[in-house]
Amino acid sequence: MKVSLNIVKQYTKVDLSVDELVSKLNQQLGGVEQVTDLADKYKDAVIVRVLSAVKHDNADKLSVCIVDDGGAVADVSRDQAGHVQVVCGAPNVRADMFAVWLPPKSTVPASYEDKEPFVLDVREIRGVLSNGMLAAADELAIGTDHEGIIEIDPSEWRPYTTELKPGASFAAAYGLDDTIIDIENKMFTHRPDCFGQLGVAREISAILKGLPADSNDVDTRFTNPDWYWVKPAFEPGKGLELKVFNDVPDRTPRFMAVAMQAVAVGSSPLWLRCALVALGSKPINNVVDITNYVMLMTAQPTHAYDYDKLRGAALGVRMAKSGEECSLLNGKSYVLTEDDIVIVDGEGIIGLGGVMGGGNSEISAETKNVVFECATFDMYTVRKTSMRHGIFTDAVTRFNKGQSRLQNDRILAWLMTFAGQLSHAEQASAVFDLPGNTGQLDDVSLSGEIPISADFINARLGSKLEQWQIGGLLRRTNFASYPSDDKSMLLVTAPFWRTDIELPEDIVEEVGRLYGFDKLPRELPMRSIKPAAQNPSVVLKQRIRHSLSRAGANEVLTYSFVHENVLRRAGQDPADAYRLGNALSPDLQYYRLTLIPSLLGQVHGNVKAGHDSFALFEIGKGHTKDQLDDAGLPKEFECVASVITDKRKTGAAYYQAKRFVEELLREFGLRASVTYEPFVLDAMTKKAAYFAPGRTASIIVDGERIGRVGEFTPTVRQNFKLPDYSAGFELSLTKLLKLQRPHGYVPLSRFPHVTQDISIKLPGEVSYGDVYQLAQRTLATTLQPDTTAHIVPFAIYQPPEGAARTISLRIEVTHTDRTLTEAEVTGYLEGIAAAAAEAYPVPADV
Amino acid sequence: MQNSWRCSRLEMARSDILDAKMSYKDQQIAEAAVVLEARFATLETKADILKAPELKALYEQIRTLPDEQRASFGQEVNALRQELQAKIDAASAVQEVLPPLDITAPMDVNAQIPELLPTDQGTTHPLTQEIAAIVDIFGRMGFVTEESREIDDQYHMFESLNFPKGHPARDDYDTFMTVETDADGEPFIAPAHTSTMQNRTLVKYRENLSKGDAIAAIVPDRVFRNEDLDARHEHTFYQVEGIYVAKGVHAGMLIATLQEFLQEYYGQKLEVRVNPFYFPFTEPSFEFALSCPFCDKKGCNVCSYEGWIELLGCGMIHPNVLRAADIDPTEYTGFAFGCGIDRLVMMKTGIEDVRHFESAKLDFLEQF
Repeated sequence: MKVSLNIVKQYTKVDLSVDELVSKLNQQLGGVEQVTDLADKYKDAVIVRVLSAVKHDNADKLSVCIVDDGGAVADVSRDQAGHVQVVCGAPNVRADMFAVWLPPKSTVPASYEDKEPFVLDVREIRGVLSNGMLAAADELAIGTDHEGIIEIDPSEWRPYTTELKPGASFAAAYGLDDTIIDIENKMFTHRPDCFGQLGVAREISAILKGLPADSNDVDTRFTNPDWYWVKPAFEPGKGLELKVFNDVPDRTPRFMAVAMQAVAVGSSPLWLRCALVALGSKPINNVVDITNYVMLMTAQPTHAYDYDKLRGAALGVRMAKSGEECSLLNGKSYVLTEDDIVIVDGEGIIGLGGVMGGGNSEISAETKNVVFECATFDMYTVRKTSMRHGIFTDAVTRFNKGQSRLQNDRILAWLMTFAGQLSHAEQASAVFDLPGNTGQLDDVSLSGEIPISADFINARLGSKLEQWQIGGLLRRTNFASYPSDDKSMLLVTAPFWRTDIELPEDIVEEVGRLYGFDKLPRELPMRSIKPAAQNPSVVLKQRIRHSLSRAGANEVLTYSFVHENVLRRAGQDPADAYRLGNALSPDLQYYRLTLIPSLLGQVHGNVKAGHDSFALFEIGKGHTKDQLDDAGLPKEFECVASVITDKRKTGAAYYQAKRFVEELLREFGLRASVTYEPFVLDAMTKKAAYFAPGRTASIIVDGERIGRVGEFTPTVRQNFKLPDYSAGFELSLTKLLKLQRPHGYVPLSRFPHVTQDISIKLPGEVSYGDVYQLAQRTLATTLQPDTTAHIVPFAIYQPPEGAARTISLRIEVTHTDRTLTEAEVTGYLEGIAAAAAEAYPVPADV
Repeated sequence: MQNSWRCSRLEMARSDILDAKMSYKDQQIAEAAVVLEARFATLETKADILKAPELKALYEQIRTLPDEQRASFGQEVNALRQELQAKIDAASAVQEVLPPLDITAPMDVNAQIPELLPTDQGTTHPLTQEIAAIVDIFGRMGFVTEESREIDDQYHMFESLNFPKGHPARDDYDTFMTVETDADGEPFIAPAHTSTMQNRTLVKYRENLSKGDAIAAIVPDRVFRNEDLDARHEHTFYQVEGIYVAKGVHAGMLIATLQEFLQEYYGQKLEVRVNPFYFPFTEPSFEFALSCPFCDKKGCNVCSYEGWIELLGCGMIHPNVLRAADIDPTEYTGFAFGCGIDRLVMMKTGIEDVRHFESAKLDFLEQF
């Protein structure tokens, strides 16, 4: 929101520096994004009187002019009378006119922002010296007109008091010696009134006042201009027939219109053009300019139609029909929906309500009669229409914040006055005022009277304000406030333009802001010494991080969204994944199904960067389409996943990944409870299709599948350029959280354990797990009381030829009360050997 | 175990195809076949053999031949192409078949149990380290930690936070939305703030209030904004949301609590200030700034030579938000804040590019 300091100063005194003001605005109104010093751009433009303009001897279209700058410009060659010679090519240059002179060494304002601004000089033009130039509107960046130079009419009304005489600063005379303060739009999402200069001026007035002193009657109220403050009375008006209708009272809380006749369309007075330019708008003609100016001043968008282009002399508002088309002022056509508000004449659409007018009713040089509209539209509908069709205008910015429906009459009256002054238009119809169904239009406030106590406010701010001080603060922004009959409450009424005041809390905000939030006492809340509970999930994740990083792995974080190709390369089906509909980046197409593909995508880059051996792990979430949780939201599969790789190693990386899994399970007391089953790729497990069957295991604890560990399929290895020695695992955190248990502890014995190894030759199809369990079962039945045994894997040998394998186990046996003999331990081992020979006989030929 | 630990028969059959040799009558084609077969063995991407210039030359030659030769020559070239295609298929099929392992074993046959990696190589992520520090500080201050979601609904992103449907402030959040919709026909969203947990947290701990305790919780987790990436903007980042509700909680307490937290986090005395702001879910709303911890307010590149750093948004929880959680706003008041974690960490550690966080670059991670 661009704010002109010069315009603000027309409404309130500002007697501090720009820096101080900006700091105040930041503290008490909203974040200032940018401050632009307009004055510097126009500092050299001087108002001069043209004394004579004589045709150039050697050029038909040029005039040699003598101008009077009152001697204001230094270092310029002058004639004996002290006047300056300038050659001018404009057809409208003539003696006795006032013009704008850009002297030598000055920068042409239109080129001010250019990389290489155009600096004027003394130039010889066809044998005649010219000192700088007389400026046209385009050179001053206040219009596109280059037909002639700017002609200043000293008798024309201006909002500034600088005297118009030769040598006067052009910028000062027309308010271009301005500072433009740009405040973040975000700040005013709930403050539609602050999208007008008047609204911001009111706020500035309010925050520059000190805290009311001891007296209740110190009036620090902002003085609104009469045209805004006083409710207008309209004349009946006649001359042109006009039908006005509001067919959507639920979405158009107020629709006002009036016809005016005998309009003289032309360019706006110079002050108005300059004001529009200062606020970043473009002057067009005196009819359109006043609608824009009124909007920039009050935040209320208005629209002007060419009366003679309105078919059936009608103007109204209705909802569009589905598929209906309209073409707008931007030259584009749109196909509308039933949720778009449209402005129509007797036959069809002439504008998109609250968004943009149509090209078919535009004001042109030939326009004789106009209709002004001043409406309020439902903010949500306007916003949706704007988003749906991708049209963003100044009107949308204001309407989608919800303008007050109580200001339309005042604004339309001001617009009519302006039109009369600037284009000699006369009221030619009644002023139509069609209410919607949201309430009376004569209310002085949208909020009504809100009772609030000083205690309520102080309890929320921590302040110690008295009732009268609160009243004084609120009056600054034109709130009415009176003590209730019993004096216990303050009865507060927001002014008619405030749409954001609904609750007592909204008044708390207003008081706090005007008082100054930085003045609030800072004290910590008091609490009991009861400990704050730990979150088991947070603790679990911290332990996983510590365990895996201690095992030499690196924690990474990768995006939750992936490109379709990542899913495909990992063997996953994008149809299973939630798809993003609006991502700016093509890399973010789908929610990832699992974490492993993201990790696989990070291996090659790290190998290339010179890392030969590493393990990446991530704790995160996967989502699969159509799997919902109890709340009807997509189920979140939280897991820890890891990919382990070594560029230098060969062999089965599976066992390395499994080593990491076991280390992690040890951390959670599950090392002794885990078993492994071959991973089967089916409909349930297809999102893990990157794992190679035969070289991947399901991890089972207490009969529950808690994850998988395995190598990747050759296709996946190739797709992600993985080193041959690569494997990974994924574990469900939900399951881990549920199954985790304290570490199992066996009391220490005072006696040493006895260790013996056993090697068992087995047929090819017997797994290590079978043998291990057999050994455990056997020991469980044969061990004497008070004896414990611990089985440690030792070796698995398979000769180059032949299927039989020899599995060697190391058995550590301990007795609580005595030292065991070697013979006792041998007995246990023989038991295992016998059991194995019986369970898994080795055929003679292997 | 049913499988043997050896090559499957299937694989043997495929290797037959790979070793097969075909004979060509045309001398030129026969020679090309020898050259291409030799090259096939060396190619990393086997399919590239079909792009070989020799093969292309043969195809081009077909057109130039007299009619009587064209048919037979063409057939042989096609046969060569098919042979090469069969080799490609066979090669990739062989790759698909790996000998199964004894998955129950702790080690491969004739191998040692693999070692873990050296402990000094292991690292945790700088963001999770700092989140742990934040959880710790707030934990000591009496705040419990809650976690957020990665996919949520519009009710928790907006409605429960006093953003009605169509509210213009929804535009400020650049929210990712899914094509799929929830039961109400609304797209799911990727949370653009962890305030999505406000309603759930208020409901979960509502009982605290009747016991005379406060609701005090933080939610540090992952959030998403649909933005283009650059050194200062990420579409994926971390935010810590904080909520404190009890009797008599006022705006001054909010400022004091955040000041205490930041002083503890940066280990020094800091000045703080609040500027008015607008959020639909707090009233009043503030933008919270702290004096630059790195230059003592003198101005440095961390604070863009301002001396102050605008850090977070906060405010008093809007009565509608409390009401949505069945908490009586006339009896209880509270504050909430939401602070970007990535930026805190970047300032603390001097990380120059926010994109490093999600890059999984070991060169980056090894420094923490």
